[in-house]
Amino acid sequence: MSPVVRRVGAADRFDLTPDRALAYAAPDGAFALYNDYTENASWLVPGAASGSVSEIAANWLGGGDDGPTRRLAPREAVEGYGTFTFPYGPISMGVPESGRFDVVTYGERVLELTPVGGYKSRRILPSLAGATLADAALRVERLAGNVSASHVAAFLAAAESAEGVAVPTSELWTRAVAQELQRVYNHVHLLARIAEAANQNVGAAQSHALAEELLRLQGRVFGHRWSFGALLPGGPPRRLDGPGRRSLAEDLRRRREEFEELWELFLDSRTFIDRIQGTCPVPREAAVRWGAVGPTLRACGVPWDDRLRVPVAPYTDLFVPLPVERDGDALARLLVRVQEVRASLLLLEQLLDRWPAPGEAPQPAAPPVDPGRGLGRVEGPSGDLVYDVRVAGSRIAAVGVRTPSDANWPVFASGMRGAVFTDFHFALESFGLVFAETDR
Amino acid sequence: MPSWIQQAAHRGILTSRYPRVAASEPDEIPLTARGPLPTGPIGPAAVDGCPVGAISPSGVDQGRCVRCARCLATGFRFGAPIEMAGTSPASLRTSTVAPAPSGAGSLAELGRSLHVFLVDVGSCNACNLEVLALANPFYDASRLGIFFTNSPRHADVLLVVGVPTAAMIEPVRRAYEAIPAPKAVVAIGACPISGGVFRGQPGLRSSLDELVPVDLFVPGCPPAPTQILDALLTLAGRGRRER
Ligand code: SF4
Ligand code: SF4
Repeated sequence: MSPVVRRVGAADRFDLTPDRALAYAAPDGAFALYNDYTENASWLVPGAASGSVSEIAANWLGGGDDGPTRRLAPREAVEGYGTFTFPYGPISMGVPESGRFDVVTYGERVLELTPVGGYKSRRILPSLAGATLADAALRVERLAGNVSASHVAAFLAAAESAEGVAVPTSELWTRAVAQELQRVYNHVHLLARIAEAANQNVGAAQSHALAEELLRLQGRVFGHRWSFGALLPGGPPRRLDGPGRRSLAEDLRRRREEFEELWELFLDSRTFIDRIQGTCPVPREAAVRWGAVGPTLRACGVPWDDRLRVPVAPYTDLFVPLPVERDGDALARLLVRVQEVRASLLLLEQLLDRWPAPGEAPQPAAPPVDPGRGLGRVEGPSGDLVYDVRVAGSRIAAVGVRTPSDANWPVFASGMRGAVFTDFHFALESFGLVFAETDR
Repeated sequence: MPSWIQQAAHRGILTSRYPRVAASEPDEIPLTARGPLPTGPIGPAAVDGCPVGAISPSGVDQGRCVRCARCLATGFRFGAPIEMAGTSPASLRTSTVAPAPSGAGSLAELGRSLHVFLVDVGSCNACNLEVLALANPFYDASRLGIFFTNSPRHADVLLVVGVPTAAMIEPVRRAYEAIPAPKAVVAIGACPISGGVFRGQPGLRSSLDELVPVDLFVPGCPPAPTQILDALLTLAGRGRRER
């Protein structure tokens, strides 16, 4: 870093240590999500969050920027001779979603990179108040289409807990099938995007082809390539009867072979591995401090996965592998995802193999946190996803959410400090961030 | 030692033969990619049951439909034509269906390849990914002279996904202005045609054509890549398969 640069601002108000609390948008303002990575304890603490957490929430979730846009990570003031700031976006080359990145640099190195969202805000959460559960779910699954299954699963779990209803076992298993299929798709898609950014043209094309096959698979099973409607009452007919499950299992075996062949070739490509190794490193302390979730957190050696830490059926009955890497860089994040593709395929095999018999007793929902208020928590493709739902009668009263992208944007921003701008695209793709998740 | 070439050869030719050969179902066109059609008279249960008001006694507004499948219980089936791009939102009502003729829009006379610029004005990300899927080996849009570009100055076609938010009005207008004439705009999915599931939400525009002139509207939530490809071929004045 250039000696003429000094950091004059402080990101301290965003510093979540020592309580490792993470603010999230609850219907009534700040909530705190405590993850104690050293123990099994982890839960949401409503209302009376500490002063610092409320302040974080106000700064982080409530704007702090001009107009409808808002910062998705804290910005440190950086000044010095020769530094300049340029806004990249909201329509930016190589980033298919709209969003902005404010880059402070003095030429080659990125001193500070602040993602700015709000361009795509559709005000979904306030619009859910007063809706029926089914109508609300249609908007929830379109909050972020590529990870729709995890959003719907968490939303339904929260609503069912609020209402205190029991859920048919086969529905819970179907939710898991949809989520694991989407996890595999998203991980393979990110592999393709990273390969593309690294100019691995053939590898990128082959990975994009595999991602397409995984979308077609969702289309065959659920009638929709993004599984919209798959988990909702009245959705398109599913093909998860006996023959449907057998053909899905057969299909997945082929996809697994293709994936293994593909990955072996990537491992042989020294240029590819060199390009992502050491890129955008996030040390373990930083990941914990910023509240990282999902593969981003597991890539720094923290063995946290909601499917194991806060499991719900059917994950309570399955063997869930927990891949962890140490280095915290783009390669480590990719290695975690690669192992998770295998893990999800193994989970799918178990799900299809041990499908609940018809007539199995429905499973009670988790107890409500308050009367009429439930929390749902699932491990989405990019990490821990939390829904907080209040119901009034048969309608939704209010909804809050903390998405993996909310948690990981600041981690990405911290990893980009000191990086060269040419690393931007690999770095970004390696986190699996979705603007639609924060611009909801 | 296996190589990329061997691996690619082992997998064989993946590329669709569309539009020379009809799109395959369910692989290229899954169940919900075809819009719903009534199988008999449309009753009040169907009209009231549609969450986005797409069903009226006279038919289905495909530009509003989000493919939720609820109307299957009231006598509908997914059976509308695969190639459904229309030149106006009104042309997407199946009672008055007016499919765009080949060459709709202004780019047929270019007689050459199309360069496409994608702008997201408030999407859920699924439409973005369906557009980008056209570059994967299964669709390989470049075989048909369709290329993605990173600059509006090099583009002929503006593809727009998402429901227009206030913050994206200026950026999408600027992108439109930056494209040299002759140019065309294609609205992809229910969001920019009608607002989709977000229709009527405060702060959002319900239709892209309030902001920029739109040549083609491609219904779906999201439309399948083949349906987006069909719209681009229609603009370029090249053949369509069905109808
Ligand atoms: S599929 Fe859903 S949105 Fe479309 S017409 Fe039927 S009920 Fe309406
Ligand atoms: S039309 Fe549907 S799939 Fe496309 S951006 Fe809108 S909600 Fe998402």
